[in-house]
Amino acid sequence: MATDVVVIGGGIVGASCAYYLSKEGIKVHLLEKGSLGCGASKAGMMHVVSWEEPEIHLKLAKASKKLYQELNLELSSPIEFRQTGSIAIIEKPEQVETFKATFDRLRSWGLNCKFLTPRELIEMEPNITPDIAGGVFFGDDAQVNPLYTTLALASDARKMGAIIDTFNEVIGFEFNNADHSVSAVLTKRDRIPAGAVIIASGAWSHAVGNLAGLNIPVEPRKGVLAVTVPVPEGIINSQIILTAGYMESVNSGSNSSLSVAANIQRAVNGNLVLGTTRQMVGFDREVDPYVMANVLKRCLRFFPVIAEISVIRTWAGFRPYTPDLLPIISPVESMEGVYVATGHEGIGITEGPITGKLITQMITGQDLEFPLDDVSLKRFEK
Amino acid sequence: MKETNKDKASCDLDVAQDDWDQIVCRCEEVTKGEIIKAINDGATTIEEIKRKTRAGMGLCQSKTCFRAIQRILAEVSGQPVAAVLPYTSRPPVRPISIGILSSLMEEEDD
Repeated sequence: MATDVVVIGGGIVGASCAYYLSKEGIKVHLLEKGSLGCGASKAGMMHVVSWEEPEIHLKLAKASKKLYQELNLELSSPIEFRQTGSIAIIEKPEQVETFKATFDRLRSWGLNCKFLTPRELIEMEPNITPDIAGGVFFGDDAQVNPLYTTLALASDARKMGAIIDTFNEVIGFEFNNADHSVSAVLTKRDRIPAGAVIIASGAWSHAVGNLAGLNIPVEPRKGVLAVTVPVPEGIINSQIILTAGYMESVNSGSNSSLSVAANIQRAVNGNLVLGTTRQMVGFDREVDPYVMANVLKRCLRFFPVIAEISVIRTWAGFRPYTPDLLPIISPVESMEGVYVATGHEGIGITEGPITGKLITQMITGQDLEFPLDDVSLKRFEK
Repeated sequence: MKETNKDKASCDLDVAQDDWDQIVCRCEEVTKGEIIKAINDGATTIEEIKRKTRAGMGLCQSKTCFRAIQRILAEVSGQPVAAVLPYTSRPPVRPISIGILSSLMEEEDD
C-alpha cells in the first residue's frame, strides 16, 4: 500500500501528526534522522502550560490539554499525565501590580487561577524563602512525560499501520512539474512517493525546508537543564514552580545574550528537573558550567533547602524559535501537499497534540477547530 | 513490573529466559527481561533502551550497568560488543550538590 503522508520529524509534533493521521486511516511514513524524541522532546521540562499569551496560544493550549486528557486514557502505554497545577512566584513587590494585570486578563479568558499572598504561598510551600512578594496558582496547568508521550504516540501509530522509520535522514524532495505539488521525499536510504509531506523537524526545520526551496524562519534556541536524585515529597510540595518573570525571559530578544528563569519541576518518580535558560548560540550542545551554575543559583534563591541535593545529570536542548514566538501550523501555499508544523519554542510539549490534530484536519479537509491565520507560514512574507 | 511467563513467551527470542528477572540497572531497578523487551520493541541503541526503560538514568548514570546492557544488546541484535556505542555522557561525572555546582559562578545580582 502506497504512503499517503510523509512526516519529517519524530518528536512530539511529528508523532502527534502520525497518530492522528493514522486514526483517520491515512497511511503514514514517519522519518526521523536520529531516534524518536531525540531533539527538543527529550530535552525539555514536563509542563503543560495553560496561560501563555497571546490568544492563539491560549486556544491551542486549552484544546491540547483536552487532547492530553483523552490520550492519557487511550494510549497503550503510560504518559504520566497529571493535573498538577503550577505556581508562579512573584519575586519583588514592584512586580505585583504587573502580575495583577496579567492575572485579571487571564481570568477574563476563563483560566482557573488564584492570587497568593506571601503567607498563602509559604503555607503551600513551607521551604520557600520568605523573601518573596507573592505568587499565582494556575489550576489548569498539568504535567506530562514528553518522551513517554512521543514514544507512545509513535508506537500506537505503528499499531495502526504507520511506518516509523528512524535513523533515516531526508536529503531532498521531488515535485510534479505540472502543478509543483509534492510527489516524493528522498532519504539517505530510499525514495518515498507521497501525496503530502509534513515538516515537523523542530529546530532543524529551517534546514529541512531548504531542501524543498522553502524558507521556514526557525532558529535553535538553546536551553540547559539539570536533574537531581529523587527527593521525597515535602521538600517541595508543588510539582511545577517557576518565577513570574518567566515570560519576560521567553520574550527577551533573539541575540546571543543569556536569559535565565528559575523553573523547578518534580517528576513522577521524584527527580527534580531544574531550569532554565534561553540562548541563541546555534546547535552547540555543550553545557557551560557557568550557565548551569546561574540556573541553579536562581533556583536556590527561592528554595535554599535544595542546596544539599545532588545533581546527577545536565544536558542541553534546542527549542524551535520563530521571530514572533508563535508556531507555524500551516499549509505551504506555493507547494501543494507540503505542510509545516514547528516553531513552538518552549511550548511544543503543550501544543504538540493539538498541532498533530490540526494538521490532520487540514490534510483530510475537515473543518478546523479554530482559525489559524496567526500561525500561518505566509505571515512571514509581509 | 514483574515479567509473566506469558509475556516472556510472546517475545519469541532465542535467548535463555531463566535470568530475565535479574536486575541489570540497580539504580532504577530495570530487569534483563525489560531490556530485552525494549530491544524487541525496536530499540537499536543504548540511548533508546535508556529512554524506554530508564536503565542507566539513575544515581550512577550507567557506570555500573553499561557493560551489561551493551552485552545484552550485542547478544540480542547479533552485533559485536564493540559496535554498541555507549551512552552519551552528561556532566557532572559524579553527583554534585546543587550548592557546590551553583558556587561555580561569582556572586552577582541577576
